[in-house]
Amino acid sequence: MACERYRQSIQELIDGTLGPIRKAELELHLDQCDDCRGFADDLRRIHETAASLDELEPPDRVWLQIAGRLRQEGRVAVAPAVAPRARRSAAMLAIAAALVLSVAASIVVLMRVNAPQQAPATAAAPAAPGGNAAAPDAVEDVAAEFRLAEQHLQNAISKLEAAAKTDDDIIDAQTAAALQKNLQVIDQAIAESRSALQQEPQSTRARDSLFELLRQKVVLLQDTIALMNEMRKGDSAGAAQILNSPNKS
Amino acid sequence: MSSSKVVAHSSGAPAAASRQGDAALVERCRQGDLGAFEEIYAAHSGRLYSLVCRMLGNAADAEDLLQDIFLSAHRKLDSFRGDSALGTWLYRLAVNHCLDYLRSRAARTNQLTSALDQEFGLDDAGSRRLAEQTLTKLDLERALTRLPEGCRAAFVLHDVQGLEHREVAEVLGIAEGTSKSQVHKARLRLRSLLSGRT
Repeated sequence: MACERYRQSIQELIDGTLGPIRKAELELHLDQCDDCRGFADDLRRIHETAASLDELEPPDRVWLQIAGRLRQEGRVAVAPAVAPRARRSAAMLAIAAALVLSVAASIVVLMRVNAPQQAPATAAAPAAPGGNAAAPDAVEDVAAEFRLAEQHLQNAISKLEAAAKTDDDIIDAQTAAALQKNLQVIDQAIAESRSALQQEPQSTRARDSLFELLRQKVVLLQDTIALMNEMRKGDSAGAAQILNSPNKS
Repeated sequence: MSSSKVVAHSSGAPAAASRQGDAALVERCRQGDLGAFEEIYAAHSGRLYSLVCRMLGNAADAEDLLQDIFLSAHRKLDSFRGDSALGTWLYRLAVNHCLDYLRSRAARTNQLTSALDQEFGLDDAGSRRLAEQTLTKLDLERALTRLPEGCRAAFVLHDVQGLEHREVAEVLGIAEGTSKSQVHKARLRLRSLLSGRT
């Protein structure tokens, strides 16, 4: 059992507030008393473990809810918080960049199958987008970042469309018609979403919707090319799997 | 061993500059500047959320309470005079919210709440040495939730978040000596819990 008269000193030693004379006396005692030394060690471990506990971060939604309530109650000006939208547009750019890389890989595979001597295409240099407004490279604001993400996706779509046309008679007519119809549906949805965004340029929902539709078009075109590869290899099981898997969302 | 981690600086030019910065931010918030309040949130939400999580022992409840704390802080900004640092003022608000919440929860579930000065297990005869066992952060987090709320607050502020006893006393509205005794009791209780006596 730890010596009662030293308990307080041990606690103050852990606090770092023990004066030098009492500290020297205590250390002499701790050298001689196993119980007190064990007691001090236990308290020190608790204190050090407590000090090492991580600072916890609240999820982003907490701030969004606070900001929303303050606006609702009319206690702040209307301008929305910047940080969450900036983070969303940065995420969109990252997704677009990843899709561009995967598109490049798809096109490389297709080109090797068709003509191994040809130099593989890359997605490094953005090509002129197919019939859509060119976007500036500047990323000072959220809208510019979104336009850049949109441009990347549009570039990817152009490349995929060109690649899919190189050998499109490999797919049977019925499947080709179904794929074409899917593309038409998505293209129409993209056009509607663009129109909505033109009317409400600050609308996050319209922007998200357009981004998602462009992403879906990329995925559909990638699947088309993958299907062409499987058909060319004579792998009907692989082709069936691509046809039957739901469009990625 | 403890060094203060809180925004409240003890003295001198850095403290004065910090207070001026706090005052400017608070004034902008009073004018309806959401960006200024977001700066305050960014600077203090981590520490406050950590405190609330450890007081409540539940992340979901802690999120809701953190929201209430900051909304309450925004409403009460008019009453912030700058006598203490903004961080200390926010800590005080957060602790009060936590204690109200815990007492309300205890009342709803008919649990007995322990008095601030409850004596418990100071006689450690027969207890296993903690040093003989592994002590993980998770062990300690769990044991924290079993401390009486008064000394839990003092322990979290002092040993976990690194406030000095003087600052803990200011946050809790108690004497510095009481802060020391509460933290010391918390350590003894934790030692007892962690060594498997209870």
